[in-house]
Amino acid sequence: MLTVLDQPVSPRLVDSEAMTTKPDKATEDKIRDFEQQALPLMPQLYGAALRWTRNPSDAEDLVQEAMAKAFVAWGQYQQGTNLKAWLYRIMTNTHINSYNKKAKDPSKGGLDDLEDWQLGDAKSLTATTSRSAELEALDNLPSEIIRKSLREIPEEFRMVVYYAVVDGLPYAEIAEVMGTPVGTVMSRLHRGKKLLRVLLAEYAIEQGYLVPESATEKS
Amino acid sequence: MAEIDCEETKALVHEYLHNELKPEAQQDITAHLALCDSCEEEYDLEVYLNKAITRSCDEAPPEKLAEKVLDYIRKSQSH
Repeated sequence: MLTVLDQPVSPRLVDSEAMTTKPDKATEDKIRDFEQQALPLMPQLYGAALRWTRNPSDAEDLVQEAMAKAFVAWGQYQQGTNLKAWLYRIMTNTHINSYNKKAKDPSKGGLDDLEDWQLGDAKSLTATTSRSAELEALDNLPSEIIRKSLREIPEEFRMVVYYAVVDGLPYAEIAEVMGTPVGTVMSRLHRGKKLLRVLLAEYAIEQGYLVPESATEKS
Repeated sequence: MAEIDCEETKALVHEYLHNELKPEAQQDITAHLALCDSCEEEYDLEVYLNKAITRSCDEAPPEKLAEKVLDYIRKSQSH
């Protein structure tokens, strides 16, 4: 469906016959239309790109590349449908095609097949702390620790958590954006949140935001 | 209204918080939470976790990014 988007968009590959210095009127209109509709979504796109790439400079590149592809495919966008989800989908493809080729993420592979117990147990880790202490720690934890924990979970989990929690996308749209069944979205959200909770509890204890009540009994 | 136990309630926490359940199921859980401290605590925890995640993911894009993207698109059109 999105095969045209899989092609790299590079100035070199664009028709060099039309060596006009300024785009023609139709192209200018298309750019203006794209600018008015897609550019206001920049904060969301950058947020998602940061989650994919985990660093600002790669996030900028990903946004730029995805937007260039979106512009090429602009004629295929159906007005009235969810533009943000359409752009997110293009970003998913762009990321998977160009970034994962560069360096295969060693944390990936087979994670959906892991059993819950293999993901660690949030309960056992926080069993020695009271719930109210855990809530308070979550409130007090610096944002950087939370972002760090997000960076440390596998990207498929991280993206689903991001889209569901921060962006508020419905499961069906996340499924569309990620190219997976809705059931996979559900299980990745559950597992992603669980992994995060374990990591955050570890960091909270390590940095003194959460004090185990019976530390001496912990073996 | 159907009775729903703690295990089912806890398993549906994300679906409940993200409004992915049918209204009846949503009501069953709301009713269960009103009577069950243990489940309510678990739900609270996920709410706080969501708040923490949302608060941490608030980075604004660089000011010039939109401009850069447009320039890039223009260049790819005019060469």
